[in-house]
Amino acid sequence: MPDISPETYVKVAKKGIANPVLQKALAGLQDRFGRGTAEAYRRLPEGPELRFKAHDIREKAIAHLDALLEILAAKIRANGGVVYFAQTAKEAVNYCITVARQNNVHRVVKGKSMVTEEIGLNPALQAAGIEPVETDLGEYIIQLAGEKPSHIIAPAVHKNRHDIADLFVKKTGIRRTTDPSELTQAARKALREKFLSADMGTSGVNIACAETGHITTVSNEGNIRMATTLPRIHIAFMGMERIVARLDEYEILLRLLCRGAAAQTMATYVSYISGPRRPGESDGPDEFHLVILDNGRSRILADPQFKEILYCIRCAACLNVCPVYGKIGGHAYGFAYSGPVGAVVTPLLTGINRAKDLCLGETLCGACMDACPVAIDLPRLLLALREKLAYGDENWQVKPASRMEGLAYKAWSYLIGHRYIYERFLKMAGVGQKLFPRSGTMIRRLPPPLAGWTQSRNFQPLAKETFIEGWRNKKAISNTP
Amino acid sequence: MHRLPIMEFFPKAMDKKPKVTLFIQCLVDAVWPQVAEAMVRVLQKLGLSLECPTDQTCCGQPAYNSGYRREACIAAKRFIEIFEGSEIIVSPSGSCVHMVRHHYPELFCDNPAWRQRAQRIAARIYEFTEFLVDVLGVEDVGAHFNGRITYHDSCQLLRGIGVKDQPRRLLRHVAGAEFVEMKNSDYCCGFGGSFAVKYPDISAAMVNDKVDHIIHSGARAVIGCDTGCLLNIAGAVSRRSLSIQTLHIAQLLAKDYL
Amino acid sequence: MSTPDQEYFLRRIRRALNSKPDFSHHGSPLFAHAPSPEELQILDNHRRRTAADRNALLSQLMEAALPIHLCVIPVPDLIAAATAIATLAEAKKPEWSAVKNIIVWRHPLIDLMELKAPLNRLKIPLHRTEPMDPAADPTQDRIEREHLRSAVTASYIGVTSADLCMADTATLVLRNRPGQPRSVALVPSIHIAVITLDQIISDMKELFALLRWDDRFRSEGLSNYMAFISGPSKTADIEATMVHGAHGPREVYLYVVSGK
Repeated sequence: MPDISPETYVKVAKKGIANPVLQKALAGLQDRFGRGTAEAYRRLPEGPELRFKAHDIREKAIAHLDALLEILAAKIRANGGVVYFAQTAKEAVNYCITVARQNNVHRVVKGKSMVTEEIGLNPALQAAGIEPVETDLGEYIIQLAGEKPSHIIAPAVHKNRHDIADLFVKKTGIRRTTDPSELTQAARKALREKFLSADMGTSGVNIACAETGHITTVSNEGNIRMATTLPRIHIAFMGMERIVARLDEYEILLRLLCRGAAAQTMATYVSYISGPRRPGESDGPDEFHLVILDNGRSRILADPQFKEILYCIRCAACLNVCPVYGKIGGHAYGFAYSGPVGAVVTPLLTGINRAKDLCLGETLCGACMDACPVAIDLPRLLLALREKLAYGDENWQVKPASRMEGLAYKAWSYLIGHRYIYERFLKMAGVGQKLFPRSGTMIRRLPPPLAGWTQSRNFQPLAKETFIEGWRNKKAISNTP
Repeated sequence: MHRLPIMEFFPKAMDKKPKVTLFIQCLVDAVWPQVAEAMVRVLQKLGLSLECPTDQTCCGQPAYNSGYRREACIAAKRFIEIFEGSEIIVSPSGSCVHMVRHHYPELFCDNPAWRQRAQRIAARIYEFTEFLVDVLGVEDVGAHFNGRITYHDSCQLLRGIGVKDQPRRLLRHVAGAEFVEMKNSDYCCGFGGSFAVKYPDISAAMVNDKVDHIIHSGARAVIGCDTGCLLNIAGAVSRRSLSIQTLHIAQLLAKDYL
Repeated sequence: MSTPDQEYFLRRIRRALNSKPDFSHHGSPLFAHAPSPEELQILDNHRRRTAADRNALLSQLMEAALPIHLCVIPVPDLIAAATAIATLAEAKKPEWSAVKNIIVWRHPLIDLMELKAPLNRLKIPLHRTEPMDPAADPTQDRIEREHLRSAVTASYIGVTSADLCMADTATLVLRNRPGQPRSVALVPSIHIAVITLDQIISDMKELFALLRWDDRFRSEGLSNYMAFISGPSKTADIEATMVHGAHGPREVYLYVVSGK
């Protein structure tokens, strides 16, 4: 079963902040891709506004999801493929293991896919005695290290060349080198053997198109093409939402995906797959299986407030601009999906209460929405999650996160409704703040629940007189301001 | 974030100067009243007559951002009742203007009567620099400052109401000041309301990055348009015993600084 | 041809969407049944393309190819292409073994190049892929597949053509067919593609307009496997440093036969 640990957000975030290697890597990542993506949108012939068109395309696709999936499945079956609809992670994993066992599969080469991370495919395959081999260079590195991806597109961003060099020496026995091209060559060599000897390849699905009946995979390394070309069996795992109706709509999404993911105009490889090899073809898999996964998505679909997160195409553009992700890294989010999209998707898939820090631990700065290729209003979604935590929600089985806070906001709403009492309250606080230690005019330490502020910042004390008081007093003296 | 177009009732060149109603962010009111006083001086210098409802408190943003919609609604209704009669509302806080302009109409999405009232207010509220540059057409208010200054883009101001150029134009007209951009000026400073208190480690990491970028810019003063961010930055600057001034743009324009 | 898992799955989606099963989508606005005005314009531009237009596209292609390390080399004719390929084959060292082997597609354009003669002079064996007998028995099928596998893994250069090439992103479009296996453009360290000038199109919009509405392309559709290839394989997974040759070819050469 997949590892799910959104509860440790704060703890792991702290570790990330204290890790200088990670800090340098994240800053580099955001400088490069965050800025690059914005520039790539600006250079679109249609301009960044194309993102809103893409939003409409996704909205339409999701509104007709049943029809689109039905058509896709029919076309893939007509091409000799097998389609399996998995309600849960367990069903998806079991299907894969059954196919593997039926075909006497010992080794599976995997193209990078966050959905297989979501369903915990690797540990399940291992438990079944089948060797899963991650083939994306970043995924390969973290698999060797026994870690989890920390970024949707750049999974090993948290490791520097020295970490990787040590890891390769230890795990693959190569001569030590810290040169990225030599390290890449070492992985290329090791993985070529795996590709040529694997019986099964797996991939995710970036976007499927109902009109043509194809799934598509996008990569720069070519590992997905290898994993879907050389082994006898190809199983593709697809989140049920990753589909559009028509090829012209697909065209817009692909252009935005490449820009959002890596500020590219086109990824090196895009493959359109609709079935196994046909008679007369001498390569390609004998069997093609498409596993379409729900795993909690239909519940999101049923909620008009949250449906919009299903428009996501998992490009990771939001990670590359998020100031919080940029400090804490991906591991803090405790699930396959990190960054702003993880902060919305993980609570919805794994439980809002247990992932409450993901809902609350952002500043709502809105950078993610501007970076999103399909213009998802991520801050709105975070606010909707916070509302569930504030009041509880039966539908989502959410309990109010803090009764104290609820009472505090009730009191606050009374206070701000009465200026006179509000001012008296401020006066009292003004007297109270004299108790706290200062440095110069600033308060150096506040008590809980405000202690967090002064942990690494001073606090500007309340003024002796509010502006409004001053205004009232002046007005009392002369009636014209 | 539903982006309504700013309905400009007021043409840039106005024959008759409107009466301006001040909406003072609660943080400014209670913690940093100098900001509002400075704004008053700038607006008075431009010959505007001002009024300030003295029963105003808070727009409801803190509750809204924490998910307490009902409490935010209470605040919003009160705000609307207080400011409904105003011709034009000006506030020294981008996030509060974003709250009123964009979130109020959304808060009342299933209450047509209140929604309409909210929309009317939304069309009449301006952030201070937006009001100066876009409504009054003023970019030079005769301010001066000796030394290098840099600017921090507050998130709701920049992405919520799209104010990016206006403060920069005003800063470029400050005599004696050398305006420079810092790295990542549009990155969140880590304030985020209760975020700064609930997630102190993350918030501290963010504000310390911000302060590093300010230091790196070589500026003597960092200027902003939202007091939340400025309190955060000033708190970190003070904790690190740096000599950088943290100023609201109104303070700079009113020459209210040491 | 539905299955129980599918029925259950789609029922849940319909419940979430609050919608009824929709069997009428063949006439629904979800799909287009005729080209849009924009697509008609694109198809018209495609038909009316002049020699000058084609050369302009070639220039655009060459410009787009530069940053992605795709080498685009215009050649006057196939003889020149063959000579250039032989020169390249002589200069390059194989990556995985000491022996040089080259694998080429069975394709009219590649056949016409007659690579055999110049490569013979260099003593480099040339393998040509052949379509398999669709009715072959499983044993024969396996033998032929293994034959291809060993030839393609032994080759340091794979030569293919392409269906089309999109100028604005320097992207080759290859559809799968018997005799034109995809691994030739994937497994060898160097991929060489040979196309003619009239195979260059403007962009993805034009490609999809052709695939959707132009009879020459529509009949075959996207095939069961269509690949976009834009330059050599690359990765930036180690400290965001760009390295070419992650898993796919480390070098890609595109010879454009321009006919002049």
